[in-house]
Amino acid sequence: MNEQRKEILQMLAEGKVTAEEAEQLIAALERDQPAPAAPGSDVRPKGKPKYLRVMVDATDEGVASRVNIRVPLQLLRAGVRLAALIPAQALGEANAELSRSGVPVDLTQLKPEQLEALVEHLDDMTVEVDQPDTKVRIFCE
Amino acid sequence: MMPQLVTVKMMRPNGRPIRIWVPVLPVLLVLSPLVVLAAVVAAVACLVYRISLLRAFGTGWRIMSALPGTRVDVEHGRAAVLVSIR
Repeated sequence: MNEQRKEILQMLAEGKVTAEEAEQLIAALERDQPAPAAPGSDVRPKGKPKYLRVMVDATDEGVASRVNIRVPLQLLRAGVRLAALIPAQALGEANAELSRSGVPVDLTQLKPEQLEALVEHLDDMTVEVDQPDTKVRIFCE
Repeated sequence: MMPQLVTVKMMRPNGRPIRIWVPVLPVLLVLSPLVVLAAVVAAVACLVYRISLLRAFGTGWRIMSALPGTRVDVEHGRAAVLVSIR
């Protein structure tokens, strides 16, 4: 029994609320709480993720290939700091090459704080690509 | 904490595996003259490109410290490579 339900029953016992009001409060409480997960469903425990996982299962001309990569998120954060050290001249050249390849992204506008925020929110991300001969899954754990 | 052990496992197409364990600290000690040389080259590069030496070495150290836990496992048919950093 959770604390809020206990409090409502306590209030009912003390006569602060009527039985009808207590019932309404408990019903409201149940509406606010999420439904319990179905057994066997793919629900991972919600903790602070430490790793980015990339899993690829593919079949190339009848030969099965499998890639399983685990990268610590701390390494991504450190990489973001490394990106901040890139000299402006190199960024300019990278911008020119990206534009030439049809990706008009201005890397000089990309701030380290923005990249860090991106890494922070990676734990909410799951990418799944399912094709007949290829399966890709990217997630944090 | 910097990496302690790098494990490399390769499965050759004939099915025979090769396992290599690389203890990072002893290897770094053996290669210390090269490491010092690389640090000097990095310092010169930082000065040429006007990058803060302290920030550059700090970031390098952060990357080294974040490496433990990295694992790359690639299999293609009967050949396979596994690199694990602990």
